[in-house]
Amino acid sequence: MSAGVVLFVDDETRILSALRRSLRREGYRILTEADPGAALRLLEREPVDVVVSDQKMPAMSGLDLLERAGRIRPSARRVLITGWPEEVPPERIEALGLRALIPKPWDDAELKRVLREALSA
Amino acid sequence: MSESTSRVRIVVVLPEVFPGGGQALSDPHGTLSALARLGAAARLERMPSLVAAAEGVRGADLMVVDGAPPEAAAAVVEAACQAGVPVVAVVQREGEAVGWFRLGVSDCVAAGADGSRALAAAALEQIRRGRETRERRSVERRLAWLENLNTTIVNEIPAALVVLDRERRVVATNPAFGRAFGSGTRGRPLADVLPEDLRESAELDALLDRVAAGQIAAPATARGHGAGGRPVAFDLRVQRLDPAGRLLLVLTDVTERETLTRRIRDLQRYNENIIQNLNSALLVVDNDAGVTFANPMAAEILGEPGSDLRGRSVWEWFSTAAARGALLARTLSDGTRFRGAETILSRADGSVLPIGISCAPLVDADGTRLGAVAVFQDLTEISLLQQQVLQTEKMASIGQLAAGVAHEINNPMGFIHANLFQMAEYLADVRRLWAHVGDLQKAVGSGDVEATRRAASGLDEASRDIDADFVLTDFEKAIRESQEGSERIRHIVRDLRDFSRQDRDERISADLNQCLDSTANIVWSMMKHAVVLQKQYADLPRLRCNPMQLQQVFMNLLVNAYQAIEERVGDSGERGEIELVTLLRGDQVVVQVHDRGVGIAADRIDRIFDPFFTTKEVGVGVGLGLSTSFHLVQKHGGVLRARNRSGGGATFEVILPLAPSGETGAAPGDDAEAPSGEVEASRAP
Repeated sequence: MSAGVVLFVDDETRILSALRRSLRREGYRILTEADPGAALRLLEREPVDVVVSDQKMPAMSGLDLLERAGRIRPSARRVLITGWPEEVPPERIEALGLRALIPKPWDDAELKRVLREALSA
Repeated sequence: MSESTSRVRIVVVLPEVFPGGGQALSDPHGTLSALARLGAAARLERMPSLVAAAEGVRGADLMVVDGAPPEAAAAVVEAACQAGVPVVAVVQREGEAVGWFRLGVSDCVAAGADGSRALAAAALEQIRRGRETRERRSVERRLAWLENLNTTIVNEIPAALVVLDRERRVVATNPAFGRAFGSGTRGRPLADVLPEDLRESAELDALLDRVAAGQIAAPATARGHGAGGRPVAFDLRVQRLDPAGRLLLVLTDVTERETLTRRIRDLQRYNENIIQNLNSALLVVDNDAGVTFANPMAAEILGEPGSDLRGRSVWEWFSTAAARGALLARTLSDGTRFRGAETILSRADGSVLPIGISCAPLVDADGTRLGAVAVFQDLTEISLLQQQVLQTEKMASIGQLAAGVAHEINNPMGFIHANLFQMAEYLADVRRLWAHVGDLQKAVGSGDVEATRRAASGLDEASRDIDADFVLTDFEKAIRESQEGSERIRHIVRDLRDFSRQDRDERISADLNQCLDSTANIVWSMMKHAVVLQKQYADLPRLRCNPMQLQQVFMNLLVNAYQAIEERVGDSGERGEIELVTLLRGDQVVVQVHDRGVGIAADRIDRIFDPFFTTKEVGVGVGLGLSTSFHLVQKHGGVLRARNRSGGGATFEVILPLAPSGETGAAPGDDAEAPSGEVEASRAP
């Protein structure tokens, strides 16, 4: 069963590990990447349906990553995950056509709901 | 003349000695023998010629001319007359006397036996008269000189002089009087001449009455108004001149002196006022540290309000080792000046007070040191405020840190939170398995083979269903990762707690590299996405310091460097470099924070250490960071400097002495004010 391909980007590998754990039973094919550059290269090869990126990362912010991701794979839905949702300019969220913002720490149920919605859209 | 009173000198001119010697008559008319009767008191000087006599007559009491006709003696008689010496001529022929008198001789005596007797008498008479004449002339000369002196004094003296007759009318005035009160006053009553306010203020009429009555009167001062209404003052002295009741009135203009005196008095009062009401304590001590002056504030700060501190030793209050060793004692011993130094004083009641003090040597006009002047303020309130500012500043720094730290805490929180959810599910899975294990146990216990087989198969199925191998492995992994995460949070919280602790002003021996490194670790979390951090630490000896304060300084400098880099790179994703360097320079430890940020604008470089000066947006900094840092470094006897780097960015340098100065506050001497650099900023806040 392939309910979708989800790529998680976060410089914190423990977060990636926890996200994978949370979604274990959702049936997605889950890709994780700690380095934004590597994540963008992965996007070029993999048929990713949803990109979920952390906002605060060294070298590249999540918004920038998602912006580039949109150019590489326009079909991919984009989700930003951040501990400081209020700091993200709303106009940038709109401009990116982001599906959602997920606060960090996240609620498992909400995470699952957002992903389901993103994939069904 | 005193010489001639003891001996009478008589110059005698006798007839020429016959040439060729032989029977020359040396005294044909007995002149010498006649004069010899005058006795030993008369010294006879026989002149060999008329010419010699004319030359030698000066200073003689008498000249006697014998044996020459008047025609031949004209020159010698003239010389004698000019010198004021009387001449007696010995007349040889009848009718010659008229010629002699015409020449100007004082007397003539006939030659011969009778004449020689008369000669002595005539000589005596002429000597007496000559002396009288000379004395009278001398007195006259003295009188003339005195008169001249008197006139000069009267005319030139700046005092106004006026002579009054018995009716108080002006008899005479000098030019100064004329200048002061008008000329042409002779004969007018004094009351018309002197302004009324002057006369009345000095009670002049009464004064004149007393002096006229022969009493002695003390000088009086007359005050009034002169030309243009300006106030004038005169010193008045009155003298009775003669029994006829004439009076001399001397008026000396003392207006200027009075004005100056008043001005000095005003100035003294003014100074006195300032000193008495000064909000600072002012203490003057002699070379033995004895108080010679203390203003009321000094007595108050020293804890003895209202008491007279004169004569007491300042060591009663400045007795601590630090105060004794460094400040007033040094000013007294070698004249060192201090400005704005901080020290403590102890009061008699045992309380101890922080004060800010300035000391300077007290020197007289010749440069001799007479003692010292100390001005000081109670710093209790300021110290408290300072402490508050420090704490405020630290809290503000912590506010800046919080964002970075929160991020650092939020990540582990995020996965611990998610892991806990998942572990709850894992536990539910394990419980399901455990229920099957229970069923299996029961079946085995019952001995029912079929039931046992079914139970085993159920356990198997459930185990496959929940992927038990994975669940158990991942459960363990989730626990391990969560433990790691919570450990990370624990460290962060501990560092923060260390940092935010209210510090006490204590010096301990500390490793400066470690201070710097741990601070860098705390700050690192907020800057790691924008900064590449290089470290280059030298081997440093341990330093006696307040590590918390220095950590605060390092943090301020690091945050500052980070913000400068952020300002330069913006959102470009580029990373800026911060280099931390420690090194040993002579007996100083140097900590450098180099950054490749925006650098310091030239017009700001001398203000960056000012309190509340900030170039940052509202909310980013309160503007106390660098000023506080400067203060903290200064408290360690060190210097904080800033300069721009070639190639962009700035370098901040903390220079700390290895041997602590022992005294907080400013360094002694003219260097008490921190040096201000041209390109460097190292000003006192």
